[in-house]
Amino acid sequence: MSEKKRYRILMVSDFFYPNFGGVESHIYYLSQCLLKLGHKVVVLTHSYGNRSGVRYMTNGLKVYYVPWKPLFMQSVLPTFSGTLPIMRTILVREKISLVHGHQAFSTLCHEALMHARTMGYKVVFTDHSLYGFADVGSIHMNKVLQFTLADATKAICVSHTSKENTVLRSGIPAEKVYVIPNAVDTAMFKPAPERLSSDQIVIVVISRLVYRKGADLLVEVIPEVCRLHPNVRFIIGGDGPKRVRLEEMREKHSLQDRVEMLGAVPHAQVRSVLISGHIFLNSSLTEAFCIAILEAASCGLLTVSTRVGGVPEVLPDDMIVLAEPDPGVMVQAVGKAITMLPNIDPQVMHLRMKKLYSWHDVAKRTERVYERALTCADQSLLERLSRYLACGAWAGKLFCLVMIINYLFWCLLKLWQPDEEIEEAPDVQLSHQRGEISEFATENGNMK
Amino acid sequence: MDKDSSPAWKWRKLAYGGMQPGFDDNYTGDSFLEDMVTNANVVKRDLCKVILDSVSISQYLCTVILVVLVWTYTLASTISFKSLLLLDITLLISGFIVLFLTARMISLKLFAQYILNILYFIIGLYALSPIYHTLTRSISSDSIWALTTMLIVLHLFLHDYTGCTVKAPGSLTNPTISSNISLNTSIIASVLIASQLQSRQLVFAIVLFSLQVFLFAPFVAFCIKKYSFWLYLWLSLGVVGLTLALVYRLQGFLFVILLGLLVFITFICPYWLTRIQKYKFEINGPWDEAKLCFDITE
Repeated sequence: MSEKKRYRILMVSDFFYPNFGGVESHIYYLSQCLLKLGHKVVVLTHSYGNRSGVRYMTNGLKVYYVPWKPLFMQSVLPTFSGTLPIMRTILVREKISLVHGHQAFSTLCHEALMHARTMGYKVVFTDHSLYGFADVGSIHMNKVLQFTLADATKAICVSHTSKENTVLRSGIPAEKVYVIPNAVDTAMFKPAPERLSSDQIVIVVISRLVYRKGADLLVEVIPEVCRLHPNVRFIIGGDGPKRVRLEEMREKHSLQDRVEMLGAVPHAQVRSVLISGHIFLNSSLTEAFCIAILEAASCGLLTVSTRVGGVPEVLPDDMIVLAEPDPGVMVQAVGKAITMLPNIDPQVMHLRMKKLYSWHDVAKRTERVYERALTCADQSLLERLSRYLACGAWAGKLFCLVMIINYLFWCLLKLWQPDEEIEEAPDVQLSHQRGEISEFATENGNMK
Repeated sequence: MDKDSSPAWKWRKLAYGGMQPGFDDNYTGDSFLEDMVTNANVVKRDLCKVILDSVSISQYLCTVILVVLVWTYTLASTISFKSLLLLDITLLISGFIVLFLTARMISLKLFAQYILNILYFIIGLYALSPIYHTLTRSISSDSIWALTTMLIVLHLFLHDYTGCTVKAPGSLTNPTISSNISLNTSIIASVLIASQLQSRQLVFAIVLFSLQVFLFAPFVAFCIKKYSFWLYLWLSLGVVGLTLALVYRLQGFLFVILLGLLVFITFICPYWLTRIQKYKFEINGPWDEAKLCFDITE
């Protein structure tokens, strides 16, 4: 442990606490576990409301909330070189050795990776979502991703399906892409201490009620399940534009006493909702990984899910019932899950999940990726430009131009304020943290 | 976890259970991209069919040019109010006859409702024609023609050539926003032109004529096309021929331009379209957003 090199990692994404979601928790838990492995981790994100400047989180995780306002869907306005001065300062101040960007539609992440490459840092990119190839939005996003990944040292995807997708979208060689799934904090998602009675079966749905999460599928499935299985109740947590449709469905089929709608559930209360049910129903139409399924399984719930994206890779076959996103097939799958229920012991399932997923495993695998990224040979500007040029007839030249301008801007900044003049930030070592490092294997990161 | 018991662990496309023994995280197996489907929905286009389909565009283009010709002749006082009114009535009656013959919707109640609607429409138009008459009195006629030309070009660009914006009652699909904009631009253009005329009667007759064509010609053409494609083809060729003859009488230069445009639309564009088909590359796979197999009724 002691001979191991300590890395100084900068995590960049537009998405971070106080926002909640798959990317946010991935960055948080990964950072916590990397801290426990003895590395230094700094997070860079944009400001959220009043939360601007430098904050410290659990175990001395330093977070820079850069005062850039989010423009659209929590992403900042793309400025190409506009963020270079502040990012250069942070990179030099924190003596960063590697930059790790998250999520393809985070503008901040793309810009940070671009600046880091300009300044000669090794960069790793994690893709958390899936994209198609047909619509204008995807075509645009895929070109941006191609630009970023043309020069990224390594890339990480959260599932094998996501890897296939990323390789196709960006044209990056497949051997540069690693698959490291998300995990779940099993200590936070423990099953109910006592087994629920099986007289009444409770099916839990927790998701944003939007089209992409398959809310329309729920509208078709719920009344049919209620008709076929008189002892089934539904609990729906989440809010969104499709909530009205679900409420209409409830009125239309007079299911007010059997379908409970909770509205938005804060992340801290997700467990308490999950443990009140037997079956977790996920109706997403697209999903790269789906952490919600892990949380449910960790609470000992049997999962019924649509067979989309990376979902089939997430759990062993005896812990999940998969169905095509068709109401009839979904209803059958729920029926199958109900017959499987007597053989499911939540405590056993929880213990299995503990073995299958852990953030420490994720952190160790990510650490290996960092190790390999840092041993990659340095490349001159010309070598790198030739890679951008290969990105397309017009796009290639445009990418080169952007990189050259960025490089010149960096040279100018170095003249204006040499690296030596930037004050270095001292490393804060929390007293209780040192003791914890040795026993990290038994510890679990917990969100405060 | 039985994976440790067997020495030769076979790689599987799974995310759970940590790193698979003997395989790195960047391992790319044989199954990589095996679920990818390329060009599943690509239809090979037939040049002949595309040319026949392009007739719809030529036909509608010529219909619009015919309307513009009527506008010019009316502005030049070549067509009198009476002949214009006669034209309106002929168009209305022939349109109804075509609908009766092709659409097979001969219900007396529906017919009565149609007549009533059209009566309301005509009365409203007649009452409004004095307003239209003085609408653009203070604007130079050059500006009006320039604006009208732009509106008509926009109309042609956004027009829905595959169907019709004005639907038969009880139709399921709603018209798209661009076809609605197209319809509106054509109506504004008619009103603008009408406002340049000398008398109220002429204003009334010309707006009625333009609206009849812009609102109902695509619908009538659609009905004929559904009834018999060959009939539609011959009628379209007739419209194209008539337009060419009238434009030739008006000005030789315009005739050459129109002829060139028609050749471009009917022959060059379809050939072009079939040529660029080979660049089509469609990728589908498990990462695609699933499509719902039922209609969402809000």
